[in-house]
Amino acid sequence: MALNRKIAYIDLSTNTVETRPIPLEIRKKFLGGRGLDAYLLYNHAPAGCDPLGPENVLIISAGILTATCASASARTHIMAKSPLTGLLGSTNMGGFFAPELAWAGFHHLVIKGKAAGPVYLFIHNGEIEIRDAAHLWGKTTTDTQWAIRSELDDEEVKSCVIGPAGENLVRFANVMTGIKNAGGRTGMGCVMGSKNLKAVAVRGTLDIRLAHPAQALDFNKKFIDQITSAKVNQIQGKLGTPFIWGATNCWGGLRTNNFQYNQLEDADDIEPERLDEIATETMGPHHMAACFGCQVHCRAQYKIPAGPYAGKYDEGPEYTSLGAFGAEAGCRSAVTVLTGNHLVDQYGMDNLETGSLIAWAMELFEKGILTARETDGLDLRFGNDEALLEMVHRICARQGWLGDTLADGGIPAAEKIGNNAFDYLIQVKGMNNLHSDERATPALALNVATSSRGSDHLRSRPAIDLYHLPEEVLRKIYGTPVPYDGPLSSDHTSYTGKPWMVFWQENCYMAVDCLGICKYHTVFLGATLPNFEDWPRVIELNTGLKLSPTDIWQIAERGNMLERLFNLREGLTRDDPKKGDTLNHRYFDEPCLRGAPDVIGLSIDRDRFNAMIDEFYEIKGLDKNGLPEPRTLERLGLAQEPSHQL
Amino acid sequence: MGHTGEKQSAAESLRKTRTFGKVRCHNPSCMGRITPAPGAQRVRCPTCGMEYRLIWVNETLPRIRGPVWETNRKIAQQAWARRQAAAKEVK
Repeated sequence: MALNRKIAYIDLSTNTVETRPIPLEIRKKFLGGRGLDAYLLYNHAPAGCDPLGPENVLIISAGILTATCASASARTHIMAKSPLTGLLGSTNMGGFFAPELAWAGFHHLVIKGKAAGPVYLFIHNGEIEIRDAAHLWGKTTTDTQWAIRSELDDEEVKSCVIGPAGENLVRFANVMTGIKNAGGRTGMGCVMGSKNLKAVAVRGTLDIRLAHPAQALDFNKKFIDQITSAKVNQIQGKLGTPFIWGATNCWGGLRTNNFQYNQLEDADDIEPERLDEIATETMGPHHMAACFGCQVHCRAQYKIPAGPYAGKYDEGPEYTSLGAFGAEAGCRSAVTVLTGNHLVDQYGMDNLETGSLIAWAMELFEKGILTARETDGLDLRFGNDEALLEMVHRICARQGWLGDTLADGGIPAAEKIGNNAFDYLIQVKGMNNLHSDERATPALALNVATSSRGSDHLRSRPAIDLYHLPEEVLRKIYGTPVPYDGPLSSDHTSYTGKPWMVFWQENCYMAVDCLGICKYHTVFLGATLPNFEDWPRVIELNTGLKLSPTDIWQIAERGNMLERLFNLREGLTRDDPKKGDTLNHRYFDEPCLRGAPDVIGLSIDRDRFNAMIDEFYEIKGLDKNGLPEPRTLERLGLAQEPSHQL
Repeated sequence: MGHTGEKQSAAESLRKTRTFGKVRCHNPSCMGRITPAPGAQRVRCPTCGMEYRLIWVNETLPRIRGPVWETNRKIAQQAWARRQAAAKEVK
């Protein structure tokens, strides 16, 4: 059965491995993927543990639908206490790793301890080996994966690996699989590096028996039609996520020059269509690739067309690389974006955090808070493409005062730089924001402020708030599976009804992450994509588990509350500018200066924002300080956590 | 319940609202439906005046490639001037 995949507990300090089945009652409470990861983290990571100490646990998982007939069930989830934020570390990536893990017999790996020297795990058909990785240390992410395949003499091995950034304990080092699939956020690659764990390699040929295979296959055809007929996915299939960047820049919702502006004007060379032209010129017309089991094909393949890295192959760039190596740094060159994207992929470093921190340093340099002394002579101004790429090298290698300082993440860097550097750091809970500008969109501002892993769009963003959908359409979406008759507004500048939309999306995205499917297959960018009402059938046909839409909703709510419990235990307080549900003062004090006429002059109203937080807490069953009410924990079955059932 | 043949889910029922051959104005307070002439390279929103460069993903799927920078810069500057004037009046 699909549900017979196990958990493996691997202690790198003692070289021991233990495997256990996942009881059905636990499945019914947390499903799998991110939800069950949250349970495991809350139960296994000691309170207040050092994120880089052996006591931190690293959890790598597949979703409950992974490797079944459900489309796009490719997502791998990774969780640990974050070395970047000191709070929840959580990241999610596509590719082919998670299905291979499931075929190898496992859904969750709980990795504890620290190896004496570099090691990698090889997991194959129920067996787990801890192997020497001294010869892999220092290699880039791609070279590491090919070296493992060569060593194991099997090109079908899938690995998630760290690059030099993870080895150097860059606090926002990521975990990579394939060329560009990145578990980018919250520094999970740094946790792997702290454990001397270079890679986890998997190869599996074990059958996954579906509950109703013929019906599951037939049903999936309908699901695929629903997914591929959405316009948003048709455009994704041509342009990838840069299309979102292009649209966002068009109206003025894009972080530019470290949030000083909200639009990169005259950005024609890095518009999605230009990138598509480069991919076509260098890779041919059929250059869009896909993750396991996905029909959207949103990943471009390209070669860098010019410059010192000309001819190098990579994939993407995604929205975030366009932000990191484009608008945030005030750069307008496709070659710079494609090169920056390539470097972070090879080094294993979060593009979003890297670009944001460099842009922050650029503003500090232009304001005189940083000088040529700290930059070792680098003219770190906005629009200096060479300086931007040079800083990528330096951060990965922790080279020079500034490279080493930024490698520790924004808040420690602000403390080291001093003056009022922190005021210009656009972060929430210690993690930099997505390269979008939420000053014109209160719902999106609420989303980034309250996201469980620090500022982030993939935890609760009601992106369709920007579509001006009629209220009756909003009610259709946001009124199920749990009835909601409160206010809803089609106006993206309104503060009315937005807390419910954020709450709904928070549960929707948690559910998706438990199932192990991609967010482009749910109500993220398209209103017509599957959600709670559409999922019970796919779960039942593939796994045999019978759940109602409200069951899935409650499971998601439970997972989100567990993440909140973890954050509260590790120091989250409502108004803490470094660990709270707060925003940088620029959201409130500096209006948008560019973009569409109705965006100009907008900023977030502080009092109304605080009222939204109050309402959001109330909806979630939290008190005014953001602590769960006892009855909320009872309702969600979390009153006894940590319960140590697994 | 979705896909069971008994009742359409909210997501399924919304599919009938799709349009073809149109784009939506990217000014988020406008979001008006614009119908460009087939194959047109530029289009101006009749409601708010924003002007866009177009690309055609296929014959029925036009896409906004980006703003016509000069036009929209001018509109933005006028909007900012109006905002500042309004703020002065309030003071």
